Amino acid sequence: MEGNFPSLPETVRLKPAMKDRPSNPFNYTKADGFTDQEINDLWVDISPHDGFSKLAKLTSPMPMYIVGGKGSGKTHLMKYFSYPVQKIRHANDPQAGIRADGYLGVYLKCGGLNASRFEGKKQSDDAWASIFAWSMDLWIAEHLVGTVLDLAGGGNAAVSNERDACVEIAELFDAPSEHMPDTLLGLHRRLRDLQRELDTAVNNCAVTGGLKATIHATRGNLVFGIPIAISRHIAAARGVRCLYLLDEFENLSLPQQKYVNTLIRERKEPVSFKIGARLYGVRTHSTYCADEDNKEGSEHETLPLDAWLRADKRKYAVFARRLIVRRLGDYGKVRWPNASDREIRQLFASQFEDPAHTRLARKETAFIRSKYEGRERPYFEMLRRVLQTGLTAGVSPGVASEADIDEIITALKVAELPLLEKVNILLLYKDWSSQRNLRESAKNISADCHRCIETREASGRYARVMHHFRADLLAQLRRDCGGSRRQRQSYTGIDTLIAVSWGIPRHLLILLKGAVAWALFNGEEPFLGSPLSIRAQQVGVNDAAEWFYKDAEIPGVDGKRVQDSIVRLATLFREIRFSHKPSECSVVAFSYDQTKISDDARRVIQLAINWSLLIDVGPQRDRNSLRVDMKLQLNRMLAPLWDLPIFRRGVLALSPDEVNAIFDDGQVGAFQQIVANRVARMTAPCFGRKPQQPPPNSGHRLLPGFDDA
Amino acid sequence: MRDYTIYYKDTLPIDGDWPPGNEWDLFVSAFTSARRVRRVFDKVNATEKHWLVFPEYGYDATDLPTTGHVFAPSVRDEAEYVREFWSSLSGNPQGGRICIDITGFIRPHLCFLVRWLVACGIRRFDAIYTEPSHYVAREETKFSDGPVIEVRQIRGFEGIHQTEAVDSETKDALIINVGYDDRLITQVAEAKESSRKIQLFGFPSLRADMYQENVLRAHRASEAVGMAESYFAPANDPFVTASVLNEIVRESTARAQVTNIYLCPLATKPQTLGFALYYVNECVNGPCSMLFPFCSSYAKETSKGISRIWKYTVELPTEA
Repeated sequence: MEGNFPSLPETVRLKPAMKDRPSNPFNYTKADGFTDQEINDLWVDISPHDGFSKLAKLTSPMPMYIVGGKGSGKTHLMKYFSYPVQKIRHANDPQAGIRADGYLGVYLKCGGLNASRFEGKKQSDDAWASIFAWSMDLWIAEHLVGTVLDLAGGGNAAVSNERDACVEIAELFDAPSEHMPDTLLGLHRRLRDLQRELDTAVNNCAVTGGLKATIHATRGNLVFGIPIAISRHIAAARGVRCLYLLDEFENLSLPQQKYVNTLIRERKEPVSFKIGARLYGVRTHSTYCADEDNKEGSEHETLPLDAWLRADKRKYAVFARRLIVRRLGDYGKVRWPNASDREIRQLFASQFEDPAHTRLARKETAFIRSKYEGRERPYFEMLRRVLQTGLTAGVSPGVASEADIDEIITALKVAELPLLEKVNILLLYKDWSSQRNLRESAKNISADCHRCIETREASGRYARVMHHFRADLLAQLRRDCGGSRRQRQSYTGIDTLIAVSWGIPRHLLILLKGAVAWALFNGEEPFLGSPLSIRAQQVGVNDAAEWFYKDAEIPGVDGKRVQDSIVRLATLFREIRFSHKPSECSVVAFSYDQTKISDDARRVIQLAINWSLLIDVGPQRDRNSLRVDMKLQLNRMLAPLWDLPIFRRGVLALSPDEVNAIFDDGQVGAFQQIVANRVARMTAPCFGRKPQQPPPNSGHRLLPGFDDA
Repeated sequence: MRDYTIYYKDTLPIDGDWPPGNEWDLFVSAFTSARRVRRVFDKVNATEKHWLVFPEYGYDATDLPTTGHVFAPSVRDEAEYVREFWSSLSGNPQGGRICIDITGFIRPHLCFLVRWLVACGIRRFDAIYTEPSHYVAREETKFSDGPVIEVRQIRGFEGIHQTEAVDSETKDALIINVGYDDRLITQVAEAKESSRKIQLFGFPSLRADMYQENVLRAHRASEAVGMAESYFAPANDPFVTASVLNEIVRESTARAQVTNIYLCPLATKPQTLGFALYYVNECVNGPCSMLFPFCSSYAKETSKGISRIWKYTVELPTEA
């Protein structure tokens, strides 16, 4: 074992201490299921010094929406800043620690409100709006008082000055009763009783048909008034911001969100809010203050968490590796110490089996040489067929006989280097598309090819095409000549897995969970000496891709519509990638003019973005008009389902009709024809042109896309 | 501990006449295209027979049955639906003998009906359930047809929940009665993501192969469910199901602090009845809710053949 990492310091070597098969360290993929201790222990920051806390501006008075796709880390982030985890971090002196933090995090999950209770049941929307506001105020107040009790009382019932605080809090109620308690503990119980009374009325409404509830305080009074009273009278909370961390905002209906927005608009010191929501989760910024909207930058700001994580690839990769290391903490009782980023990178390089990457892909394509020993390789068979068809149709410049075809094919062969053979064929198709003499072209390509091998030339047409289309041509080779599981499209290596997860840490954990589960089941010992096999990684990637596609199903009637659109888009990308002469290399993104597509297509695209099926990757300038178009990329998690690349190079510029045929349910009838037209331009022998009239009795066969009519 | 297994259950002949004592004043059944539902409706000896037609099944007016009273409103809310139906009845069913064929019911409606009967002061009713020979497409059978519209509490089964303690070591528990519909399992598990998950499987299943089919389908929701404890109760027995639920809750709360309990009946109708029975007896006004992923539509016919006809005599508590 020690011999595996001779160059690494002792502290970073893996030391298995048990023979038993360990459990999968990536089994838990959701922060929601963690205890407070686990939230603290499994925390990884984006930067060693106040990375996320600086980003979230925890002491700032400005409310913030923290939005991100499912699994982007919102819950972990918000829980990490909540009081119970603050207390763990400052175990010696929580009060001093929280004063130093400058905020007291009161974490609440909107899902816990079971907010759908406050709808229907034959009651008016206005009645529910009032009841919901009262329920939410009680809920927040109860959490806050419970938190302050724990902080100030430290488990003891008595808190100094609590009577003064309670007197002030009693004034917040519309009709202060004589029963108002004079201790925080009593206040906590009183709030709980009021909540219980309200819940009973709300729940019985379905059975009794009537809603008999009493609202005891003006909306917002408790939410803002209690923090004011507490900071004035309770020493432990003095000078500390009361930070409401409201998670799962998407679980509130539009009128309910409107109430929270109203609280944000009417915010009073020392309160602020962080609202966690999925990308689709913020339904409105409207408020009950004359229906005005809260404005970004004025009443609130937004932190798009996953977009932020995606924006800096290098930083995200470092974060992701540290995340893995943290999960491996006690795995199999091995020791994963606080290694440097460089050491971790070095360590992981040997822990993930990855096929060799060589300049001319000699090793990656070795299976082709052995598999097709003594027989024609499938891509040359295909080339021969299209040359013959072109010859018959009279569309192959410079080709007059079978001998010419043989000559061309012979010129393009480089038996030892299948990748270069594919480059040669692609270049021939490009010349063919430009109607150059194919025999001449083949000779020139052959010369370029041999120069490339001998001189390692890095510039010029040949090198450029090889560089740009390498991933696509290797994918074509695997598809043309593959067969066994090992030779399917390759998404392996730690860097690739991190890239696939693309700003969503949970996706990385799910990828690894599947891969490690498969490896352990098959007797491998990943991270304990042997690397995670290619097969295990492939299983992990494929399972995760299928899970993501299924998981991203949008509830409601639009779900199928969006998923069908994604299938159409991915199918178009796949047809292009595996065509004879792809118009773009590594195409997995498209651009379009937003102003010219149909409303339905625009809506479906927005839904796909909100559910992270499509990722906005910035604007794209149209080549001809210089117009700035929208550019969207298929989520990398979906790439394996269609054998697509994960790294974007080319961007497909789609016309409004093409976008509508993909995303507008009413226009999908045109999709097949649009794909056929697109792909015909990339397909030999005609490349989208009409064939010449064949000579009589030439025995020609029909070309794809042309019928007898 | 309440013992539900002392309640009466019996089988009734599929072909022959039903023995004396099986006559009712009011018979209610949910209309579907399954032969097992229609056959029982014709066979039952009752003064008044009512078909409930649920809009989720998507029947046209021309498809509606021609025998019995037909109640076919467009309302989808389970509470409104049941209340409207009850107010449409001509007499006062309280005191009469009531029989409900639960076979074709949509689960939330069945649950609310039980809650409603309690609220109406009815202390006893008979429930009939007809077991199929098999499901039409084995483990690939689709029960919910359309998309999930929302995951929410079933009306009347909304508990008085406790807010989470500051120390979040205490957790909610979600007990899923696991059926074939993995999509629904996923949705409900996601809705209560942070809860501790407990799966209750129907075992013994209705037919020997159905348990395997059930497990195969449930596995597809494993990412959403995560690590879950498993329990078992007979798929055709509401009373044992209610008793097992009681046991699960006792064990879970004894082992770890549980803040709130969420129950989700996604398996057979007898088990759904068992969930409702457990709830109305032990959970009303407690920190416990019944949760359900509501779909826009359900398949009209999911099964073939008739294997057994069960009659359960359900005794209800008085309203708390």
